[in-house]
Amino acid sequence: MSTETKPEAELYERVDALWTIVRDQFAFLRRDPLAFAGMVVVAAFVFLGLFGPFLAPHDPIEYTVRGDANSVLRLSAPSADAFLGTTAYGKDVLSQFLAGARPTLIVGLFGGLGTGALGFAIGVVSGYYGGWVDEVLMRLTDLTFSLPFMPMALLLLTFMTPNIWLITAIIVVFLWKMPARVVRSEVLSVRERTFVRSARASGASNLRTMLYHVAPNVLPIGFLYTAYGVAWAIAAQASLAFLGFGDPTMTSWGRMLRQVFESGNMRVAWWWVLPPALGIAAITTSVFLIGRAYEEVINPEIQTDQ
Amino acid sequence: MTKFQRFLFKRLAVSILLTLVAVSIIFVVLRLLPGSPFEALVTSGNLNQEQIDEIRAMYGLDQSIGAQYVNYLTSLLTFQFGYSILRSQPVWDVLEPRLINSLILLVPALVTTAILSSALGMYAGWNRGSGLEKGSIISTTLLRSTPVFITAIFFIIVFAYNLEVVPALGMRSIRATPDGYLETFVSLDFLHHYVLPFTVAVLYYSGDFLLLARNGVVEKRGSEFLKLHRAKGLSEMEQLARAGRNSMLPILTYFTLRLGMIFQGLILLEVVFSWPGIGRELVLAIQQQDYPLVQAAVFIMALAVIIANLLADVLYAYFDPTVSTNGGSSA
Repeated sequence: MSTETKPEAELYERVDALWTIVRDQFAFLRRDPLAFAGMVVVAAFVFLGLFGPFLAPHDPIEYTVRGDANSVLRLSAPSADAFLGTTAYGKDVLSQFLAGARPTLIVGLFGGLGTGALGFAIGVVSGYYGGWVDEVLMRLTDLTFSLPFMPMALLLLTFMTPNIWLITAIIVVFLWKMPARVVRSEVLSVRERTFVRSARASGASNLRTMLYHVAPNVLPIGFLYTAYGVAWAIAAQASLAFLGFGDPTMTSWGRMLRQVFESGNMRVAWWWVLPPALGIAAITTSVFLIGRAYEEVINPEIQTDQ
Repeated sequence: MTKFQRFLFKRLAVSILLTLVAVSIIFVVLRLLPGSPFEALVTSGNLNQEQIDEIRAMYGLDQSIGAQYVNYLTSLLTFQFGYSILRSQPVWDVLEPRLINSLILLVPALVTTAILSSALGMYAGWNRGSGLEKGSIISTTLLRSTPVFITAIFFIIVFAYNLEVVPALGMRSIRATPDGYLETFVSLDFLHHYVLPFTVAVLYYSGDFLLLARNGVVEKRGSEFLKLHRAKGLSEMEQLARAGRNSMLPILTYFTLRLGMIFQGLILLEVVFSWPGIGRELVLAIQQQDYPLVQAAVFIMALAVIIANLLADVLYAYFDPTVSTNGGSSA
């Protein structure tokens, strides 16, 4: 093979080719208005997650909003003192909303990436090797399917102090099965194609065949499930926080909803409910819309006509 | 043995093994929990050491961990769940009504949504690119990706707090004292409480069925057998019915899987609506460290999923001739 003489140039070429693939994959965003809108929401959300805590006018937990005569403003509707009103404990809703985006972003991003990466790796290995490797790994996915996610997560979080990294890890441990199964079944069909067989015949190692010949061809489906993973992770994190099993040191949107629900103020304090509820709904829906538009691009069977 | 029987046998053995492993994991996780539910009793100082030992012996907590494990396995697998520590009732007496409450909410919701949204999805897929298709996809994407407790909160605010057409909480009004399932469920008061959580559950489940049905029909649209049907002169709706029938299999298996997961209840939906289902009971039991109740509930949930998985695999292998029955180890 001539490529062996110039390993560096070869490497650049590969990186370049990979970059082109990635860029082409995102071209669908320009064509699908819904996916584009979703992208705008995601961008806004990432911005909030990065800079929200600095933008917050007050400390979300320490600071108490006080009105005239130094009285604590409890459950006050939006006003000049607090643009989004205050909570039952006299805290500023706007500050909590701005600061609360960060844990949602961290868990969503890393939970989604972890789910995608782990599931992708296991799916490729399982599908490529087949046989007992496949058998063991697939029974492992069956096992994570049979252990109910929410109850197991709640149990684990009762004896370990919840923090966002632990929650991220638990989410990844329970969700990798989804991409793993789909990636595996894609690999099963790619594995039998001629270019993979000729790579093996020309002496490529198993690892090399998997990395250079099989993996790039199932990468799109890996991307798709990473996107879904992000949405699942955000939803799971918000749900756990809503049940009172979130990171106790951080304000998050799920925790805000828990507080308004527990304090029984949902009936009156719409300014307290709407920001976190709309925030979570908007980000999960946007990620799904992007994923769905992408699915239209990569699924050749849906593409057939039109 | 035919090939199918061998497949069935193997799949059954795997399911039994899975159950054992899942049950063991539950055991390990529960023993890792710090403290015990008796700690509150002990620290209250009202018990002397003898009484404490007696209670521990009653629950088998004085035995070695190995003996506890064997006891645990045999009792779970024979459906002897023991006594709930906090409710001082047999666990099954606590769980059974809760499980029924969950099923009575979620099974009709799942069946309704499977029929309605699959039909809508097929129609949307047939009319690809129409406003109906786009609209139904956006709305179901919104409903299935938003965590269910947020949808529930919105519905409560709109329909219970502002329009005041339905109550926000519970399954029966506080004054109702029904006796037995029939009296509980066959009443207008129950229906009144039922509408809102039922609707939210239907909407929450709708997205996946709609997309599965839609994608199935879109895939079939260009295929040869439909050309034949068109050439035969069948109307559009008749053609759609043929295309739809051919995309039923993924919907059927997905329905089976979902049915298994229903035994978990919809924890967040039940919490928001204070619906006395199994999911909400489990959250309460976890918070109060009621081990016997927790392990029984998680066991039931795991078992239901394993059985549903088995059923889905067998259905698929039985109905789809293209699926290889040797476990998918070759493509």
